[in-house]
Amino acid sequence: MADVSEIQAGATQKRRTDWLFVVGVSIVSLVVVLAAIGPAISPYDPTVSTPTVSMPPPPLAQWPSLFWGVLTGSVEQTPHWFGTDSSGFDIFSRVISAPRIDLTIALAANGLSLLLGVFLGLIAGYFRNIGTEVMMRTSDVLQSFPVFISAMILVALAGRSTTNIVIALALLYTPIYVRLTRSEVLSQKTRGYVEAARALGNSELIIALRHVLPNSMAPALIQSSVTIGFAILLTAGLSFVGAGVRPPTPEWGLMISTGATQIVLGEWWPSLFPGIAISATVFGFAVLGNALERRYAG
Amino acid sequence: MLLRYVIGRLLVGVTQLLVLTIAVFFLIRLLPADPVSRFVGLNSSDEAYAQAERNLGLDRPIGTQLAHYLGLAPDEGSGLLQGDLGTSWVTGSPVVSEIGQTLPLTLELITLSFLFAFLIAVPVGMLAALRPGGKADKAVFVYSLFAGSQPEFWWGILFVYVFFFVLGVAPPPLGILSPLTTAPPATTGFILVDSLIAGNVSAFFEALHHFMLPVGTLVFILSGPIVKMVRQNMVRALQSDFVLYARCAGLPRRVIAFYALRAAMAPAMTLIGILYGFMLGGAVLVESVFALGGIGQYAIRSILAFDYPAIQGVVLVITAISLLIYLLLDIAHAFIDPRVAY
Amino acid sequence: MLVKAGTAKEARVEGRSPVIEARNLAVRYVTATGVVTPVRDLTLTVHEREVVGLVGDAGSGKSTAALALMGVVRPPGQIASGSVMFGGRDLLGLDEDALRAIRGNEIGIIVQNPRSSLNPMLRIGRQIANVYGAHNQATSREGWDKAVDMLRMVGINDPERRVGAYAHELSGGMAQRALIAMALSSSPRLLIADEPTSGLDVTIQAQFLDEMWQTVQATGSAILLISQDLGVIANYCDRVVVLHDGAIVEDRPVGEFFADPQHPYSRSILALQKAASEADAVAKRSDGEREKLIEIRDLAKNFPIRGSKKVVQAVENLSMTIGRGETVGLVGESGSGKTTVGRCLLRLEEPTAGQIEYGGTDISAIARSGMKRFRSKLQIVFQDPYDSLNPRWSVGQVLREPLNLHTSLSTAEKTARIGELLELVGLSPDIVSAKPRDLGASTLQRVNIARAIATDPEFIVLDEPTSVLAPAAIDGLVTLLRALQAELGLSYLFISHDLTTVKYLCDRVAVMYLGQVVETGTVDQVFNAPLHPYSRSLLDSHLFPDPTDRRVDRPDREQLEGEIPSPVDLPKGCYLAGRCPHALERCRAEPQMLHDMGDQRTARCWRVAEGDLEEAGR
Repeated sequence: MADVSEIQAGATQKRRTDWLFVVGVSIVSLVVVLAAIGPAISPYDPTVSTPTVSMPPPPLAQWPSLFWGVLTGSVEQTPHWFGTDSSGFDIFSRVISAPRIDLTIALAANGLSLLLGVFLGLIAGYFRNIGTEVMMRTSDVLQSFPVFISAMILVALAGRSTTNIVIALALLYTPIYVRLTRSEVLSQKTRGYVEAARALGNSELIIALRHVLPNSMAPALIQSSVTIGFAILLTAGLSFVGAGVRPPTPEWGLMISTGATQIVLGEWWPSLFPGIAISATVFGFAVLGNALERRYAG
Repeated sequence: MLLRYVIGRLLVGVTQLLVLTIAVFFLIRLLPADPVSRFVGLNSSDEAYAQAERNLGLDRPIGTQLAHYLGLAPDEGSGLLQGDLGTSWVTGSPVVSEIGQTLPLTLELITLSFLFAFLIAVPVGMLAALRPGGKADKAVFVYSLFAGSQPEFWWGILFVYVFFFVLGVAPPPLGILSPLTTAPPATTGFILVDSLIAGNVSAFFEALHHFMLPVGTLVFILSGPIVKMVRQNMVRALQSDFVLYARCAGLPRRVIAFYALRAAMAPAMTLIGILYGFMLGGAVLVESVFALGGIGQYAIRSILAFDYPAIQGVVLVITAISLLIYLLLDIAHAFIDPRVAY
Repeated sequence: MLVKAGTAKEARVEGRSPVIEARNLAVRYVTATGVVTPVRDLTLTVHEREVVGLVGDAGSGKSTAALALMGVVRPPGQIASGSVMFGGRDLLGLDEDALRAIRGNEIGIIVQNPRSSLNPMLRIGRQIANVYGAHNQATSREGWDKAVDMLRMVGINDPERRVGAYAHELSGGMAQRALIAMALSSSPRLLIADEPTSGLDVTIQAQFLDEMWQTVQATGSAILLISQDLGVIANYCDRVVVLHDGAIVEDRPVGEFFADPQHPYSRSILALQKAASEADAVAKRSDGEREKLIEIRDLAKNFPIRGSKKVVQAVENLSMTIGRGETVGLVGESGSGKTTVGRCLLRLEEPTAGQIEYGGTDISAIARSGMKRFRSKLQIVFQDPYDSLNPRWSVGQVLREPLNLHTSLSTAEKTARIGELLELVGLSPDIVSAKPRDLGASTLQRVNIARAIATDPEFIVLDEPTSVLAPAAIDGLVTLLRALQAELGLSYLFISHDLTTVKYLCDRVAVMYLGQVVETGTVDQVFNAPLHPYSRSLLDSHLFPDPTDRRVDRPDREQLEGEIPSPVDLPKGCYLAGRCPHALERCRAEPQMLHDMGDQRTARCWRVAEGDLEEAGR
């Protein structure tokens, strides 16, 4: 009875994620590649303005011929594929250069909080004493901070640098990992294989590290993908309200913010392209997180 | 039983708030920001700097500042214990009244958004749950994953472009009432309520019109996680042993539907609470896009101006409201689901 | 009357007319990956006044078949073909409304998982009233009163209070009874009972099955009893139907089935029962002059209760010796403390008091770090084979761990030793790279055993090692344990509630009740002539898979009353006094001592010691 419904559920879910998964992986891979080589391949320097201000992108119909022109060298100046913004920056160059900032911040913040959170979660779950209780209460308080406002406070008051954004996000995300890991450790440590390891004569530290830790990391790793996506959103949001990286850093949120003032005048392109980039990237990570969840948590 | 639980929770909440207040108090003073030079300018004389520092009260030992803020030093004036959150360094008016002017709008925005998000998400989620793995379910699943991972401020801008600039059906993103409209007298602070009390129907509809896009944006973002949750809970309820047994016992269809619905909605309470709390701080961006003048925008202004009393006030109030909402929803959860013990 | 009588007209037709007849019933699930058919070909008939047993492994489709008989399939499954004749109509041809009128009314069902089958959010009284109201003209108030009556009928104490309880407030046994009350509220002609006693303790299981059996005899109704437990089948069923891989492979009267099973699958599940009955013939090494390996003196273990000064008394002043090469059985119901004893022996739990002497050292007193050198000699095998292996490790990694910890073999020698261990437990060395999720329960349990014997231990605690295995696998595992004992000279403490296995495997046995040992002796002594009233009841309630000595045919049964007291608030005198049919005033007043009964037997009952209670010969 139960076994059949499980087979069934597993089967449909597997097929559903298949194509979605491909989309997710493609998006994420593209963003990763751009983070590596984006600034190097961008046709214009993303931080230097050009004389052409607020120029709309060429109509789509002209793209093939323009592209051909660039390849053959018959078009002297590389076209502004996505147009230019009100300060004359080439939007295309900035969109493809931004992953280096956005993704680095997200990955670094997530990596830091993951390491710290999993480590603290393991300790808090496996060795329960006054120290770990205090730690959990601290984590409670940290978690009750309103996330976006706290991030604004931390970054604005500490100085609007990439490093400070990373530290602020890491600080806000660590409690999530502590909680996730701790509750998994609490359930894993009562399992039979832990008892068996103890009966074989392993020390508690070895059991915690060799047996419990590897089996308790799945929730945190699954959460990672989601957290990376949200970190990108948060970074962009901070820039949008003027509490993130400083102009003219190529950063998606900053670009949307620049374009926002022009949108009521009908200049849609400065905001549209970086927005699509964020939207797709975060969606890609969400899809990836969901696939991981199905594979490891289900 | 219930009373004891509520009092217990409130006590824990108050303790948490106190710890949080002190933490924020120290945190903003530890960070390397210099509010004094922000107010007197970087090129001011040492004398002017010292004067400004005195005016802001930052020359006193930090312990004294804290005692003053908490209201533990009554001879120095009122503080938190007396319900006073201090005076804004930028405007010079009391933080309490400034928050009082901005908070209602945010609450209205979020509550309206939740209302509509629910009206849309619950039927959609249930529809998807009826045939798990079917076409509708797959589409709903992708939608929920997409909507739940979107930059709301960008969608807000996009909506402004489409509905204001292109279609012209929405007002410009410049606040909750047009600058030409006289606002109804603030009785409750909630614009929709106040305009009705004042009998100002045109202001009421104008406010609704201005809420259209920001609420639409938030509904879109919120519907993602809500749809996902409703679907998941409903699928779980429909596949549960007790629904199966209800069929085996020959219960009528409507009784079975009631069993499943109740089981699906109970765990939703927790998620609503978390989302609501998240939105209180997260509505910042949408408020900013539409220049609505809610507590989020007030927070941005205060933070960028290093207005310490205002920052502390905002964090305190937002957290307090979140904790209160969690408590209310936990009580509601316990009413629906007897397994939740107080 | 729990079940309504068949009409007189039907009864006259043949003496026994069929209540339900299923023909070639098949259920299938169409999924994205293909079609699954848990039930391929189910053909069975249940007559009135008949109890038919449906047996089969987990996953054989029993539960799916039970639901399909009333036209219910878990979504998105469907009934592929076949017919189910009931009351002159084919149920599968009826529409939903007509079916609904039959379900819960003329056919009642009890399912395996009572707790999750009750709506967690409604009081059980309301649920029973809903079901009653769906089939009878009744107001809400009448439905509620009916619920109280039904709960009283199924033996729930204080039904007026319990009717207002929620599912999570009930014990497993009570939830089961509430479900039965619901199933029987409209007096069905057929009761389908799917593992109705799984999760119940034996004494309560017997009580409940007795009542069910008597109901059938008294009325003209019928029961389809689905169970994996051959003891239940042998003692209560008239006919046995075997479901294997979704199809009926055997359908015969119970006596013939046990005496002479036809299908190979039937033979495999009956193997242990055969072996156990032959075990009497195997010479038990019952010599008393065995070399002492472990001596436990006055072992006690309390668990403090959070936020309270009270403690749960799990084990109380337990003394016992285990000889070299001996197997001692520790039996008792859940909550008797038997598992805690095993865990204390290995210091997986710190004893509250007492000594455990092994090879001249009191291992309960040494520092935890000093325990390591004893770990290679004292090992344990746990109940759940899946749970006790690290899910991320391959079989090879699992078996290498003890070698790394306790030997100084080279890598190549360890690899050789791993192959040797796998062969010892009857597994192919090819599985070294397999992960636990790729292997079945019985294979995994063998891996667990291989790990336990990797360091040449002298003593192994076997904590219910067979309880999650299918009947056919139990036999193989028990045979393996005996072979290993003979080959390696191991001593076992065998903890189990399955008396059939204990009888086959053990030399001596200790019976526990609420943390105390109430009786010890050789297996022959205790099983053939139990002294203590609790042992008597336990043995009497245990359903040995032997249709020639059925519990329902036995006139005088030793029966305990009520439920097991909480181990937090134990009675002052004898712990059994509240349930014992022989209890006197002195029993309630005086704590009981373990009396030496001679012939190496002990019993914790003053009436037995004074010869007040005649031996209950079976």
